[in-house]
Amino acid sequence: MQGFGRFLTYRLLRMLVAMWSVVTVVFVVMRLSGDPVPLLLPPDAPIAEMERLRHEMGLDRPIFVQYGVFVNQAIRGDFGRSIHFRTSALAVVWERVPATLELAFASFLCAIVVAIPTGILSAVKRGSTYDNLVMGVALVGQAAPTFYIGIMLILVCSLWLGLFPTSGRGEWRQLVMPAVTLGAFAMASIARITRSAVLEILRADFIRTARAKGVPEFWTIVKHAMRNAAIPIVTIVGLQLGNLLGGAVVTETIFSWPGIGRLAIQSIYNRDYPIVQSCVFMTAAMFVVLNFLVDVTYGLLDPRIRRR
Amino acid sequence: MLDSGTSRDGISVEGLARMLRGGQITRRGFLAQAAILLGSAAAAEGLLARVAGAQTTSKNTLVIGQSADISKLDPQMSTTVNDIAVTFNLFDNLLSRHHDGKLYASLATEWKLVSPITWQFKLRPNVKFHNGDPFTSADVKFSFERSYDPNAKVITKSVLNTIDKIETPDPLTLVIQTKQPDPLLAARTAFYAGQVMPKAYFQKVGEDEFNAKPIGTGPVKFTSWVKDDRLVLDANKDYWGGKIDLDQIVFRPLPELAARVGALLKGEVDIITKIPPDQVDRVAKAPNTKIEGVLYGGLYCLSVTTQRPPLDSKPFRQAMSLAIDRATIVKELWRGQGAVPNSMVVKSDNHYDPTLPPLKYDPNQAKQLLKEANYKGEELTLETPIGFMVMDKEMSEVVISMWKDVGINAKLEQLEYSVYQQKIRERSFKGVRWTDPTSAYNDPDGMMWRHLAPGGPNAYWFRNPRFDELGNAARFSVDEKFREGAYKEMVRLELEFLPLIPVIQPMELYGLQKYVDWKPYPNQMMEFRRFNLKLRRA
Repeated sequence: MQGFGRFLTYRLLRMLVAMWSVVTVVFVVMRLSGDPVPLLLPPDAPIAEMERLRHEMGLDRPIFVQYGVFVNQAIRGDFGRSIHFRTSALAVVWERVPATLELAFASFLCAIVVAIPTGILSAVKRGSTYDNLVMGVALVGQAAPTFYIGIMLILVCSLWLGLFPTSGRGEWRQLVMPAVTLGAFAMASIARITRSAVLEILRADFIRTARAKGVPEFWTIVKHAMRNAAIPIVTIVGLQLGNLLGGAVVTETIFSWPGIGRLAIQSIYNRDYPIVQSCVFMTAAMFVVLNFLVDVTYGLLDPRIRRR
Repeated sequence: MLDSGTSRDGISVEGLARMLRGGQITRRGFLAQAAILLGSAAAAEGLLARVAGAQTTSKNTLVIGQSADISKLDPQMSTTVNDIAVTFNLFDNLLSRHHDGKLYASLATEWKLVSPITWQFKLRPNVKFHNGDPFTSADVKFSFERSYDPNAKVITKSVLNTIDKIETPDPLTLVIQTKQPDPLLAARTAFYAGQVMPKAYFQKVGEDEFNAKPIGTGPVKFTSWVKDDRLVLDANKDYWGGKIDLDQIVFRPLPELAARVGALLKGEVDIITKIPPDQVDRVAKAPNTKIEGVLYGGLYCLSVTTQRPPLDSKPFRQAMSLAIDRATIVKELWRGQGAVPNSMVVKSDNHYDPTLPPLKYDPNQAKQLLKEANYKGEELTLETPIGFMVMDKEMSEVVISMWKDVGINAKLEQLEYSVYQQKIRERSFKGVRWTDPTSAYNDPDGMMWRHLAPGGPNAYWFRNPRFDELGNAARFSVDEKFREGAYKEMVRLELEFLPLIPVIQPMELYGLQKYVDWKPYPNQMMEFRRFNLKLRRA
């Protein structure tokens, strides 16, 4: 168990370093990418007015002083006040977290419930019409742009069939189309990875042994193949969940979903860097925590990894 | 009363009509079923027209889908289209500009110029703010003074800054002295900075709390706001102008055009804004929806960086303007949803000259002028963000190909919106860029002169002593005859030197459910009052 403790401590430290790097990169990039002051004042505002605002926001101080202040506040969870909303930046982002999580988990659930059984079945029935069809659809799912899937869903499911509302957040029916749109890519890639991971394992000697012993095919796959195919599947699932949390900008825009992605993009346009920093911090935190959980799952799944 | 008749499935004509109104069947489905019922396709078409035309509702909430979310509710903190759609309903101004372009009494009942620099306003008695506080001249003085206070973090400083001092002899009288004669003061009070805020409440809660929970005298009260989702406003039952014909107004951000139009067609929203011309047919031909459009009280122009060669040459700029086939842009690109301007003064402005012809298209003369300008094929760059104005990308492509046709070596460069803003500030555009000046106060002073006066947003290095002299004199004159002459001459100078090349006066297009009776305003305001908004009830 001591090995596992060291493994955990090491991963936790790595997590903190990752967070710090992300926050630093964001700080530098936002400061380099342009001055927010002109965007906050009307085009004919006098220079003195701009200087006053710049001073008020601390933008006239040396960049390393700004960085010091920034890190000091970030440790305490204070990312400053939103330039645009005039309230605590983290609070604005925090308001969006439930919507983002709701959408991410719904599409994630959608993806794995469909993708893993489909992938396994495809591997088992390799080369069959079913396999070709499903993998063909998966390829389309991976290749089709999100905005296209979203708009087609609105047209078909909302306007023609009248099944779901076109946009917004509130009741469960409003969640279906965004979840499918966002989940399509993850669904396709998880299905494909599951298929190839299972295929590889099915060729292994211990599977042949299991079959030779007369273990029913169902149990051979569930107990022997799946356990060993789990590592690549968990990896891709973890990565995809991360993507779902951070990569929902287009879906959120199409369906007017009040999540973090849309807020981040709007804030980039507005040069509202306290919000951008909080968004990136929040997304990075969720991503890093997920990665950590994936790592821990590896350790639990495969004892050899703990010793590395 | 609809035609009688029942199908074998037991569906009556009235049932069909109900299903169509409720969005349960499509227009095509309706036609098919009605044709069976009535025995002819022509009769079915006629029925559809009548059913759709007679559309009514029992709704008491008006839902408006805008292209972006609200950013701020403090009326002096934002002038974006989406924000003023809300603030002009939460707050009232002293005067209000109606569809006919004229000023009407709002919180002020009378106004007059008592000396060249003194305006007197009589205020409406018995008006209350949403929290019950009485409305008095002190609130107006406070609001106006804040709008140009150098220490306040507001962005409306350029509107009422002609004011020298404000006096409040009694709670219902306001006397304003301007620094110099200001013919547009009354018009200014109907604009952005003139929305009246409650002094006592504002001072009690402070700026941020006021922005979060604004209080005004308007026909709706602030109820709740979930950012990027919905802003809810309840009707003010005690509104001095009478309660609006609704209980609630909801603003929803629907940034994606397909979703915005979809939400309207499906009946989830009642009004949508910013419809591009290519979507007009889709909305107009749907059974339940219609298009309302109005000519924008402003222009889409090309702003020229006149100090850079070859743009520093007057004949070259004239050639650029003559090479643009504006009528084709209006007809083909905008599908007729716009007009060809004749100058930097638009139709809805004071002193608009209807005798001037629309701007000319003459490629041969353009080629002549290029020779005269000794043009050697230097590159001309048009820089534009995408989606900043309706059709900006398409218009850029068309204009560039028109320039190429006469021999101008033009190219397009796309910019990210914030970079574009930065370039406006730094005045670092390489050649030409799009700009969409609004005619503030419906007067040439609010557009032509505001933009081209020294230090104005499109002034660059263009200076003409006569133009400046006239612009200044007209700004500070209360003699409308003199102003008319001055603007006539300024228009001539502008069209000769072309620091701004007007291209189109576009239509502002809105999609509405047929049961909504409301007409849009040229200045993009969305004022909802008892007199201008009605929902047709069954």
